Amino acid sequence: MTKSFLATNRSVLVFLLVLSLFTLAVTVMAEATGYGLISTSFVKTLGKTLCLCLIAIAMDVVWGYCGILSLGHFAFFGIGGYAIGMWLMYARTEEIVAGSLANQPLPATAQELSDAIGTQIFGVVGSSDFPLIWSFAHSLPLQLLAILIVPGLLALVFGWLAFRSRVTGVYLSILTQAMTLALSLYLFQNDSGLRGNNGLSGLQNIPGVSASQDDVSIWFFWASAVALGLGYVLFAFVTSGKMGSVIRAIRDDEARVRFLGYHVESYKLFVFTITAMVAGIAGALYYPQAGIINPAEIAPIASIYLAVWVAIGGRGRLYGAVIGATLVSLLSSWFTGGSAPAINLGFYKIVWTDWWLVLLGLSFVAVTLFFPQGIGGLFDFVAVKRNSDYGPSEGAWRAEEGKPE
Amino acid sequence: MLRAVVMAVSIFFLAAAAAAQDLQSVLQTYSDDIAKPSRRTVGDAITALIDSDLPEVPAFLQAWQEKNVWQNVDTGLFYYVEGSDPVTLIDLSTGVAVGTAPKAVMSQIKPNAGVRGVIGSALVQYQLLDPDYNRRAAALDAISRDGSAEQLAPLAASIADEPDAGLQARKERLLMMLTARFAPSSEDRVAAIEALSSDVSVDVRAGMNQTLTSITGVAATLPEGANIAAIREVGPDFDVNTAYAELASAGLAQPTVTEDDLKSALVANIVDGQIAGVPVATMSDPDERIRAYQGLVDAGLAAPFVPMADREAAVAAHVFYTQYDEADQAVTDAAAAAIKQIELKVGAMQTADLALDAISLASIYFLAAIGLAVTFGVMGVINMAHGEFIMMGAYTGYVIQQVIPDYTVSIIVALPVAFIVTFAAGVAMERLVIRHLYKRPLETLLATFGISIALQQIAKNIFGTQARPLTSPSWLDGALVFNDVVAISYIRIAIFVLAVMFLCLILFILKKTRLGLEVRAVTQNPGMAASMGINPDRINMLTFGLGSGIAGIAGVAIGLYAKVTSEMGADYIVQSFMTVVVGGVGNVWGTLAGASLIGFLQKGIEFFNPSNTLAAQTYMILFIIIFIQFRPKGIVALKGRAAGN
Repeated sequence: MTKSFLATNRSVLVFLLVLSLFTLAVTVMAEATGYGLISTSFVKTLGKTLCLCLIAIAMDVVWGYCGILSLGHFAFFGIGGYAIGMWLMYARTEEIVAGSLANQPLPATAQELSDAIGTQIFGVVGSSDFPLIWSFAHSLPLQLLAILIVPGLLALVFGWLAFRSRVTGVYLSILTQAMTLALSLYLFQNDSGLRGNNGLSGLQNIPGVSASQDDVSIWFFWASAVALGLGYVLFAFVTSGKMGSVIRAIRDDEARVRFLGYHVESYKLFVFTITAMVAGIAGALYYPQAGIINPAEIAPIASIYLAVWVAIGGRGRLYGAVIGATLVSLLSSWFTGGSAPAINLGFYKIVWTDWWLVLLGLSFVAVTLFFPQGIGGLFDFVAVKRNSDYGPSEGAWRAEEGKPE
Repeated sequence: MLRAVVMAVSIFFLAAAAAAQDLQSVLQTYSDDIAKPSRRTVGDAITALIDSDLPEVPAFLQAWQEKNVWQNVDTGLFYYVEGSDPVTLIDLSTGVAVGTAPKAVMSQIKPNAGVRGVIGSALVQYQLLDPDYNRRAAALDAISRDGSAEQLAPLAASIADEPDAGLQARKERLLMMLTARFAPSSEDRVAAIEALSSDVSVDVRAGMNQTLTSITGVAATLPEGANIAAIREVGPDFDVNTAYAELASAGLAQPTVTEDDLKSALVANIVDGQIAGVPVATMSDPDERIRAYQGLVDAGLAAPFVPMADREAAVAAHVFYTQYDEADQAVTDAAAAAIKQIELKVGAMQTADLALDAISLASIYFLAAIGLAVTFGVMGVINMAHGEFIMMGAYTGYVIQQVIPDYTVSIIVALPVAFIVTFAAGVAMERLVIRHLYKRPLETLLATFGISIALQQIAKNIFGTQARPLTSPSWLDGALVFNDVVAISYIRIAIFVLAVMFLCLILFILKKTRLGLEVRAVTQNPGMAASMGINPDRINMLTFGLGSGIAGIAGVAIGLYAKVTSEMGADYIVQSFMTVVVGGVGNVWGTLAGASLIGFLQKGIEFFNPSNTLAAQTYMILFIIIFIQFRPKGIVALKGRAAGN
């Protein structure tokens, strides 16, 4: 019990090592910093994948460890994206507009400048005024704060309402899904103030930075890797020790934990909120690499896919979530990108762009039915097998989970 | 002298025409007006034609309007013609051929659009009395589209002889509307307006609003004799600057310096990087701009600002008002009162219409959710593929319509076939997947989601991405129209009937049959049910099949009213779950209550912001999230042992 955090979580060190090696390898192969073996767009894909891994471990903590199947975490991801996107779009448009206004005989007043930016940004939805929600868009620090605050606050309020009235299990899933649907429907409106279904675009251009996309992509890749590493350590810390035991106990039998005197709602609320904030950070790193964000991104289906990644990777272990997110999202872009070879059955030709989703859906059913531990479960074959519980003194790990090494 | 001669001659001709009662001679009197008519001058000729009371005048007017009248250039006589060169001449009055002429001497008379309009309104009075029903109806349409004062008398005259009761009623109503707008005496108009004030139809409302059109005005004192609608006081809605701008544009005050004026004056006076001594570089500050402009004013280079005090004084010295275009105050008062009364009635009707819409939306949600209520509510199984069963049912209907072309028969066949197909799919899914996951409900959600995306993609691969039509039989086309405000389409009524049928059917199965008894037993306590000789596996399978089969039938119904696409199920799945959860799990009545609540709520929210259904859905979902805080078990919560854990 007195062993240090890292000593009880050896997977953290292994993970960090693998992540740094991977980052190093990509850096060496990238256009900007190395030999140009992989294209800039692939660096972006890898950077985005790292962000997806980050939200996947957040999902794993909330679902695999705490037992809350949230179908709303992609909404927090999207909010983070919108928060950074607002600043990127505002600052970028300001640069362009200021440039074009500089040719006028009179220097522009602040009002003229803001009007011109408004017309530029909101012309597409037939408006030119800045909605209230854009009040802080001019300030990078405030928008960065919003990446944390807005998802955190939303999760806090929503979680407080839901956990307080003891909405659990399937009902909670449906409720979070409803929240996501409400948010995406709201954002789809033109007068939501966030450009309706046009979304925010041009996010890959960083204001005040004249470096090429080759450089920007590798910077974001590094940032994503750092965020993933920090997120992994944070969540490993949260899920270890006494608190981790309580969280897992809530998953296994909420009522019993409550009877033991723990305030279950607080633990759940803490996990729900902190994962939402991490999801916001992941989104804020993801969308500048994607270049565009629109409300379709945060439709409920995205959150369900998130659950799919975690389930395929293996719930209840952080590296499982990373494996699942990496594997499925990379495979998905490989199959849907059209580079997977078609299979000719003679009477029918399987084109993977059409059949990939079928394959994914069915393999998902198979994983749920036959490998509830997911791909991460394979590691148990390597590790020492235990058939019984680890016992209370060891943090009450179940045999199915395996003890963290 | 010449004029006197012309007048004498024309009087002579007129008298002759009246005496002779001959169409041709009347036409010859106005030969120039007929042959080269202009909108301004043609009136006299038409009046003369109508006054002649000749029976062939309507036919002539019609032919004239349709460019079928020709004039012999040599003799100046008018004919109808037949055949090509040489043409056969036909007499206007008798309709018999009177000879031939080479085409070169004949000139076709082509009245322009304006003249044709004048002829048309002259024709209306004949058409109102035309023996042909359709012609009379068309004439009424023309009047209601574009009424005028001249039509008042012919319309009134035509009512007594109208053989058709329906048309007679229409004529009377139209007469009332024309009277309200065009009658010469104020009393008649007021009476007509009051009589119309119980009518909610769109055209009456439009007519009333036309009577009440107004213009804004400003003057030193209120104009005498004008029919003033309202006096606009300067206040928060109408501030001093707006008022002053209006004064300026009416020429009653000196215009203020606008932002654009200021800017162009500044730009025009840049000298060596300075404007009136103020450097250009500081011009990003609005105060500096004003200081520079003041400098220009002092130098006499720009128009001075009008100080606020002057503006206020000017505004205070004038009165701002809106004035009705209609001069008669009694009429406008009556119309305003009538509008108020009509709007009250329209409001009540709109509420009724909204309630009908809400009921039909609730029926759709109920149909979509009732199958889910069986699987989720009774069995506690989350079936994310429920939406895809709806889609499957709709595609089954589509395929059957490809085989059976008769829409009525195909729908009747499609309903049971859709049930069978989705029943089979549901049973297969239960046997293969769900049965292994009864202990892990959250994972059922994920597994069925996997099935859902697979089914969606398979449907996309088979049927393509474009929407497929599921055509309803022709007897379901159209709508049941109560009046201009309240209407409901037959399809929605059919869906409502279907929903009621299913409610009864499900209630019957669950409460009155052996299967229902066993289902309820297994729901409450599977172990005990099994020891009583019930096979829980079989019951679970049948229940799941039943829920899925109902989804298939719902799919056919929804497909009739919306388009069939591979994603149609996904549009309903979240709403369906919410219907079940809000209503209360495990209870058919709960689903009904949930569907009604959601349907009425959504329509109610849409009523406040009709253009924005997305916002309505958003607020509805938020409401549901909050609702569940207060009633986590739904509207109809099970109590006692039935509630389970």
